[in-house]
Amino acid sequence: MATRDSLIQVTDLKKYYNRGAIKALDGITADINRGDVMVVIGPSGSGKSTFLRSLNLLEKPTGGSIVFDGVDITKPKAKNAEGKVVRVNVDEHRQKMGMVFQHFNLFPHMTILDNMTLAPIKVRHMPKAQAEEKAMVLLDRVGLKDRAGAYPIQLSGGQKQRVAIVRALEMEPEVMLFDEPTSALDPEMVGEVLDVMKELAHEGMTMVVVTHEMGFAREVGNRVLFMADGRLLEQGTPDEIFNHPQNERLQDFLSKVLV
Amino acid sequence: MGNLISAANFAKVAQYADLFKQGMAVTIMLSLLTVLFGFFLALLLAVMRLSHLCPFGFLGLTKDGHLREQGFLFHLSRFNPVSFIATVYVEVFRATPMLVQLWLVYFLLFDKSVIDLPKVTILGFIRLERFIPGVVALALNSGAYLSEIIRAGIQSIDGGQTEAARSLGLTQGQNMRYVVLPQAIKNTLPAIANEFVTIIKESAITYTIGVQDIMSAVNATKGALYIIIEPLLVATLMYFCLTFPTSKIIAYFERRMSRGDKR
Ligand SMILES: Nc1ncnc2c1ncn2[C@@H]1O[C@H](COP(=O)(O)OP(=O)(O)OP(=O)(O)O)[C@@H](O)[C@H]1O
Ligand SMILES: [Mg+2]
Repeated sequence: MATRDSLIQVTDLKKYYNRGAIKALDGITADINRGDVMVVIGPSGSGKSTFLRSLNLLEKPTGGSIVFDGVDITKPKAKNAEGKVVRVNVDEHRQKMGMVFQHFNLFPHMTILDNMTLAPIKVRHMPKAQAEEKAMVLLDRVGLKDRAGAYPIQLSGGQKQRVAIVRALEMEPEVMLFDEPTSALDPEMVGEVLDVMKELAHEGMTMVVVTHEMGFAREVGNRVLFMADGRLLEQGTPDEIFNHPQNERLQDFLSKVLV
Repeated sequence: MGNLISAANFAKVAQYADLFKQGMAVTIMLSLLTVLFGFFLALLLAVMRLSHLCPFGFLGLTKDGHLREQGFLFHLSRFNPVSFIATVYVEVFRATPMLVQLWLVYFLLFDKSVIDLPKVTILGFIRLERFIPGVVALALNSGAYLSEIIRAGIQSIDGGQTEAARSLGLTQGQNMRYVVLPQAIKNTLPAIANEFVTIIKESAITYTIGVQDIMSAVNATKGALYIIIEPLLVATLMYFCLTFPTSKIIAYFERRMSRGDKR
């Protein structure tokens, strides 16, 4: 049931490819509450990315529903919290969900500052000066104020990912989705990105994080989901998942990743 | 029989030097305008072909809101008329001779006054009522070819760029305009410049509808002097002087640009 501070309710979410031959998501039901740091773990190909990408409709689900802020965003029209039928504007909902990708996906033809201000200016119609001022504050927070004029190609992987995070934050999202944000980084840069994410979590940001960093999952996550074959096989607190795993697949998975 | 090629004949052709100079100017302007208009047409066609407009998209949903996977309604829901029209256009223009297109455009649209052009001559030698149909026909053809280049350029941009843009709330149109197209066009600039070189050569056929380009100067000299080889050689040299350095300059910038990317 949806609790009062529930932000996203996912019900029986399905995503099929090749006419159902591939079931990337095979009926996922999960509740994301405000302030949650939900960590999604599971073997490769289990549907973690597909789940995350479905949340902001980068993938169009084959079935099921995603109720975000009281509106089912998978339908062209839906009832809002007051029960009125409204046209669902996907772009509007995406603004409320920041997303950080494994490969950063900064815009290479723009400076760091322009990367950050593009969406606020074009989507939110924020005055340029205001957007830039805000961007500089955010860049300062992640220690990259002096690189505002640089191009992405001139930054290290860790720096790029920190920019990608604050670029999403500039839109003031209600939830941040991270898809393996440290998997493409050299080991010595993983820490600096995880630190930014920890800080965000402590500030109370709602986060859904797909990661192989089990240390982060234990320390920062308040809920952990274990997926395999497009299904949600077990969920619980980090203590439940890591110290008292029930499902056999989970036990097997943990024995491989926790060396 | 005299020599096949004679210096005396070149001297005669030299009397018509002004005609050749004007022809060269016309060829250059014709090609520049063609690539300019062709480029915008190509942008439009490429974006049309890659658009996601599916007016019957709602037919792809079942009553309970699931996506259909097969059947007639599934295919109808995927039908994109805008993309279809652009595809037909590109395929037709690429599959038919340029000369046929040129004549069709000229005789269908302009000769019978469907579109009435003023009989104005600018700069003293460019007759607009011939020049404009020439540009239109060449641009319609060039747009079809360029759109394939731009389409490939757009498709070569990593899908992650679009995902990042959309996740920030940019619409599909804003994503194209601010994120994808600037990168795609930068990558295809050398190919677009090469199209300019191609058009310089192909534009020679426009003399058949009375555009006074380099070939038309050849034709005029032939009519006046009853010689053909020498004027043709002059034209050959002129076309070569236009295209060869241009290709070399493009290749130079292409090398420099790709070096910049690897910084
Ligand atoms: N566009 C697609 N077409 C067909 N199959 C796809 C497509 N995208 C994903 N899949 C399949 O869906 C399944 C789930 O993929 P997904 O990327 O969500 O897994 P993942 O858990 O994120 O894996 P990884 O840890 O390797 O990132 C895989 O079997 C994958 O091959
Ligand atoms: Mg993945």
